[in-house]
Amino acid sequence: MSALAPPRARTAPRFEPRARRLPLGLVSLAAGAVLWEVVGRAAGVPFFPPLSEVVATLAAMTANGEILGNLLVSLGNLALGFAVSLAAGLVVGTAMGRYRRVKAALGVYVYALLTAPALVFAPIFFSVLGPGQSSIVAVVFMYSAFIMIVTTADAVEQVPAHLVEMARSYGANEWQLVTRVILPAASPTILAGVRLGMGRAVTGMINGEMFIAVTGLGRIVTQAGKSFDGAAVLAILLVVIAVALASVALVQFVDRRLTGWVPDTAKESR
Amino acid sequence: MIEISGLRKTFTGQDGAPVQALGGVDLTVRDDEFLTVLGPSGCGKTTMLKMIAGLQTWDAGEITVGGRPVRGPGPDRSMVFQNFALLPWATVLDNVAFGLRLKGVGKAERTERARDLIAKVGLAGFESKRPGELSGGMQQRVGIARALAVEPQVLLMDEPFGAVDEQTRRLLQEELLAIWEANRLTVVFITHSMEEAVLLGDRVVLMSARPGQIAEIVDVPLDRPRSSDVGGLERSREYVEITAHLWDRLRDMHEEHRAAPSEQAVR
Ligand SMILES: Nc1ncnc2c1ncn2[C@@H]1O[C@H](COP(=O)(O)OP(=O)(O)OP(=O)(O)O)[C@@H](O)[C@H]1O
Ligand SMILES: [Mg+2]
Repeated sequence: MSALAPPRARTAPRFEPRARRLPLGLVSLAAGAVLWEVVGRAAGVPFFPPLSEVVATLAAMTANGEILGNLLVSLGNLALGFAVSLAAGLVVGTAMGRYRRVKAALGVYVYALLTAPALVFAPIFFSVLGPGQSSIVAVVFMYSAFIMIVTTADAVEQVPAHLVEMARSYGANEWQLVTRVILPAASPTILAGVRLGMGRAVTGMINGEMFIAVTGLGRIVTQAGKSFDGAAVLAILLVVIAVALASVALVQFVDRRLTGWVPDTAKESR
Repeated sequence: MIEISGLRKTFTGQDGAPVQALGGVDLTVRDDEFLTVLGPSGCGKTTMLKMIAGLQTWDAGEITVGGRPVRGPGPDRSMVFQNFALLPWATVLDNVAFGLRLKGVGKAERTERARDLIAKVGLAGFESKRPGELSGGMQQRVGIARALAVEPQVLLMDEPFGAVDEQTRRLLQEELLAIWEANRLTVVFITHSMEEAVLLGDRVVLMSARPGQIAEIVDVPLDRPRSSDVGGLERSREYVEITAHLWDRLRDMHEEHRAAPSEQAVR
């Protein structure tokens, strides 16, 4: 890379008229909204109401505090479950990536649990931990931890040997090696795994709450479903999607701060 | 002073066959000497250097640096790598201060020493750039500054200018000479270039391949300081004769090698 290469954040110049530069994401969202409204009205079935009706329901549920109270409970479950998963992902993943014996000992479990349908553990947690927060946190963990463990282990294994050797030549001990060289070098791949883990954590939160909880978004979506309130189900779904997008955006924000040094990718700006 | 005696190492190749990298190396490097090492590819130069650095184990023999046997990396030795081995996320300043930071030198002091060395290698003003923003030559200047920052007694350089273009290499050679002439320390410098070996070295060690052994040690009786008149030096009779002699020896080694194709397959 030459000294003239622009930082990654800046996009390459595009030779297009200004008018055509509408943000593609917004256009896509608007088209989806229109489609929903039209199909919803045409179908006329109770479980797929048009967007306008869903938004009205969402406004009402927000006004009476139903959304906010449950949203806070869910966010608490998500934050706690994700934090535990992230810690496990970093610690176990680093150990597996760095020490052959740890990988040999834990690898089979990690890969088994990575592919196992995480919700099958919900009844176990429910019976052992009861219907409280710890059960939901455990479900979130089962959904999100293993993908972060596996990507962290891969990332650590792929750290260039010459950087490790360089650090050793300056007398780095194992802790300095891991914290000053290996984790920073592995951080781009680790953060890609963290993003996947965050998405899975949101899924785990909602599924766990639907199955176990007495409060939270998952709980009220189950109630709405049982009372055949299609508009409420979709209104809550919108909130869940917002939570998912916001949490992934948070990871991306952190990612950009930590890995701004990664050289330009081959991605086209088309 | 570095003393190497009876140094042997046999690797197990990927196919399981043994590869004898070093077959009994004896070598003494004098204090504040600039020693260059030349030899065909695969003769064990890097292996030997890494052993002095304490990064590589050996099967038999002994290495002492300043009388102390080498048991691992130490603050008395630092290494400059062919591929620079800079931390791509760290600034030039942080890269140069890396060794000091590992040693626990306080922030103010290590920043001052790093700035000092950055200036010495001609990179003042680039302190907050990252390696990705620098040319290869500038990156190796950072590598040299990092190695000198810890104030080693021995500088181990493994083809440090092998990855930069010819013109940059000549500049770097002159700069390294100037730095070394102003502030002497023991240097072991591996290279593929006969000209570089003669230009820089007090003595040139010629190694032979498989097993790696010292084939000859050639004195370079050229005047110092050399950095001020590299051009004149390269036209001198001694310079031309020594490089010609080194090439004769190396060519013989390559020809022997060609005559023994079965050994070539080992590599
Ligand atoms: N870790 C290793 N495992 C197996 N074989 C190795 C290892 N390191 C080096 N070798 C072998 O030892 C021999 C000497 O290698 P070394 O890298 O020291 O050579 P070199 O003189 O530095 O070569 P070059 O000039 O190409 O850099 C080679 O045949 C190489 O294949
Ligand atoms: Mg080598």
